[in-house]
Amino acid sequence: MRSLVHLILKEWLVLLHDWHALLLLFAMPVLFILVMSLALRDQFAAHKGVAITYHLRNDDTHQAALEVEQKIREDEHFRFEASAASEVELLERVGRDAVHFLVVIPSGFGAALLDDAPVAVRVTSGPAVEPAVELLFEAAVRGAVTDVFTAARIARIERSLPEGANDAGSLSIEREDVDALVERRAADASAPERPSAVQQNVPAWLLFAMFFIAIPLSTTWVQERQQGTFARLRAMGVTRSRMLLGKLVPYFAINLLQVGSMLCVGVYLVPLCGGDALTLGQSPAALVVMALAVSFASVSYALLIANVVTTSEQATIFTGVSNLLLAVLGGIMVPRFVMPQAMQAIGSWSPMAWGLEGFLDIFLRRGGVDEVGGEAVWLGAFGIACLLGAALFMGRRRAK
Amino acid sequence: MIEIERLTFRYPGAPVDALSELSLRVRSGSLFGLLGPNGSGKTTLVSILAGILPAQRGAVTIDGLELAHNTRAIQSTSSLVPQEYAFYPRLSVLENLRFFAAVQAIPAHEVPSRIDEVLTISGLGDARKRRAEHFSGGMKRRLNFAIGMLNRPRLLFLDEPTVGIDPQSRAFILDTVRRVNAQGTTVIYTSHYMEEVEALCDEIGVMDHGRLLIQGSLARLLGGEHGRELVCTFSASLAAEQRARLATLDGAELRADGLKLSPCSETELRSVLELCRELGVGLGRVKYGHGNLEELFLHMTQRSLRDD
Repeated sequence: MRSLVHLILKEWLVLLHDWHALLLLFAMPVLFILVMSLALRDQFAAHKGVAITYHLRNDDTHQAALEVEQKIREDEHFRFEASAASEVELLERVGRDAVHFLVVIPSGFGAALLDDAPVAVRVTSGPAVEPAVELLFEAAVRGAVTDVFTAARIARIERSLPEGANDAGSLSIEREDVDALVERRAADASAPERPSAVQQNVPAWLLFAMFFIAIPLSTTWVQERQQGTFARLRAMGVTRSRMLLGKLVPYFAINLLQVGSMLCVGVYLVPLCGGDALTLGQSPAALVVMALAVSFASVSYALLIANVVTTSEQATIFTGVSNLLLAVLGGIMVPRFVMPQAMQAIGSWSPMAWGLEGFLDIFLRRGGVDEVGGEAVWLGAFGIACLLGAALFMGRRRAK
Repeated sequence: MIEIERLTFRYPGAPVDALSELSLRVRSGSLFGLLGPNGSGKTTLVSILAGILPAQRGAVTIDGLELAHNTRAIQSTSSLVPQEYAFYPRLSVLENLRFFAAVQAIPAHEVPSRIDEVLTISGLGDARKRRAEHFSGGMKRRLNFAIGMLNRPRLLFLDEPTVGIDPQSRAFILDTVRRVNAQGTTVIYTSHYMEEVEALCDEIGVMDHGRLLIQGSLARLLGGEHGRELVCTFSASLAAEQRARLATLDGAELRADGLKLSPCSETELRSVLELCRELGVGLGRVKYGHGNLEELFLHMTQRSLRDD
């Protein structure tokens, strides 16, 4: 018991003497909670700041169509994006997730509202829109259509009743009547089917896992520095750039192997466990480009951390928490579009946001090298900046 | 020959110089003991000589080559054995040796013979396939040393090579250092163990506050005025006034039955004897001669070796 007390006291003493670690222990969780709170605030508050966006194209001038449009636009949970573009152009925007939904009220909708063969309102969602969000939006559109349909049906029945009769209270609206009035479509008409949950989730967690290589890399680096191996290597004429590359290359390869194994799990193991199989998109080259870019960025980031922190404990804490922060900001844990505009703007600078967009291009939007090129370049630039930072800090530490 | 002229180095943001106008000469083939308390600048000096840190001011020449412009060439013929176990514990002895041989660009065809050579030197031949993480402290020190010998250095920096090991391993390492030095390698040896330095080194430099306080052969230092001490006993108990007067002697250690002054120059010896005569203090046994390195060190640095 006495030894335990002394062990506890010793640990406190060690922490008190390492103010960097102490700062990280308290400051990083505070920062994490802050970011999470800001990022998730609007998802649950559901106020006007939520940025689930849609285009609405009304090709019908019938009163019923105008009423449906008005009711949809009255819903403050979703943000209307005005546009005079053609339906094809609007579909293209939704197809690349620039806007989440497109609602088209086709010509003849109002006139055929009560017919046996009605013309349906078309709701098209972007490939990266989560199923829950998609259902919410569709329900809102369906509610607006149902209101207008019900009112029209009641009006017709009332007109057909004899003078003085009032039997509208016994009216019933069959669910099938309303179902036929709203039609859900995928953004890419040529896509075989809506992406599965596996297809939507794997890119995010793949990316998240790739960045976690920073923990073993940074702690190993710090340990080698502390045990004098780096000093010995420097005395043997090994340059900083060689030492950085000596770590970057093997961990880069390991990271790529991790990617391969994770994709194999999605493609082969998940179906064996009863889940949907992951499909790897239509461009293996794009997948290779993104895997290389993300690996380079994550390993370089780890090297930067390793050269900034002093102890392996700091490396572990800093890397773990900063990965979580980058993940939150980058839309790994919470879709970025549910965040307030300010958080979305900050998140757009997270390398995980670039990585996620690139992987979503491949896995959900059936994109190729051209589509992921921008994100790959950003990740590459981030990796180079981290490497330069690592070399700079390494040089400064060398002189200490 | 290592020639250091007015070498100065200050770490970024530090309020004082780690090395200040330090000048030192170490002759080729010598076994040079570098002493100094923690923070005295020993490691900084060794780091500069090993090419890890740049010399900010001053000049360093090693075997006629200016260090600043020939760092790589000098590094290829020198070696640093750090105080830490600077190798990869998860690797075996052979794997470590192969790695460090490769890093130093030792020709591939020479590597096996070099490895055999350092295994013989370090006595680790039987443990060549064992992972270093399972070694005792003594075996780790020997592996640390063996790695430093891979490039057959003409100049070897040993930083506290016997810290934390058993007497047998210490004796083995000291004996190995002697043999390596006897084959012509210049050794710069830093240690906290005075008796080690005294037994091993033929020349010694004492550093403190980034400066070289004294340098010379062990015999000269201990034989010089800094290395002599006076130990005497009183023939009778002293009166209070006599004790008070003797206590005013600078650096004197006044005991119940005698007095010790270390180091003690001949001038100081004469002063003590005259004062005793003047006070009527009878002396019993008087010993004046060589002290030891630890006393010299404490005198020079005015503090314990392990103080900061």
